[in-house]
Amino acid sequence: MFILDIVSSILLIAGVFFGFSGAVGLFKFPDFFTRVHAASVTDSIAAILVISGLLLQTSFDLNTAKLVFILLFLMITSPTASHALAKSARHGGLLTLAEAKTENKGADDKQEQAH
Amino acid sequence: MRIGKWAVLLAVFWLLLSGYIQPLLLSFGAASVAIVLFVLHRMDAIDEEPEDVGNGPQIVRYIVWLLGQIMQSSTHVTKLVWGSSSQVSPCLAKISAQDVPPENRVLYANSITLTPGTLSVDLEDDEITVHALQKASIEELEQGGMERKITGIWGKNT
Repeated sequence: MFILDIVSSILLIAGVFFGFSGAVGLFKFPDFFTRVHAASVTDSIAAILVISGLLLQTSFDLNTAKLVFILLFLMITSPTASHALAKSARHGGLLTLAEAKTENKGADDKQEQAH
Repeated sequence: MRIGKWAVLLAVFWLLLSGYIQPLLLSFGAASVAIVLFVLHRMDAIDEEPEDVGNGPQIVRYIVWLLGQIMQSSTHVTKLVWGSSSQVSPCLAKISAQDVPPENRVLYANSITLTPGTLSVDLEDDEITVHALQKASIEELEQGGMERKITGIWGKNT
């Protein structure tokens, strides 16, 4: 079981690393949509790695099944939540970075014409 | 037949979650399964979109492939997080999902969101609005690797 422990710790550490990267990205990226991308790193790969690390720590009984269920439901709910966030932001009129730039440029041009 | 499949699935789910096989708890389980099946039956009559239990081998094949994609794009986004922020060039594009059968479009849109770097913002008729961290990810989606995988497993929209 020694090998299982090693593999499990590697998976857990990798999961923690990706989760941390997602958190850093959440602060570092410039606007709402790009931040959702950073959060999705934590959502997907960090969750997968941490749960597979935990799977190897169980004695392959009911707890294993429960962990697999958690992983399955996370894989369905987390993209749905990201999608709901992005869709409502979009419908609420939030512009992406590229669109905001052209919008600002247009406004500046108008101001110059007025002068 | 379809209700029977759901009954088996729900019963297995209950057993795996509880793990107790005393008569009292088993009867609670049977009662919950019966209630869920009753609601399922009534809801089918209202929304007229009966949902069948998916076929196991297909979804397993797809998930294994998707895990590989998630690995790749996660490392890519992680590199972007730790690298300089000038490499980030977010863009928005419409991806056609015409070939994907309607019942698999949610799966397609969710897979796009699940792979870091791309985010499905909207799903209208047969077009998915996708926001990507880099233009390259949009081009990759337009080449249709993921679309081909889904149509390869579940068949093309006709």
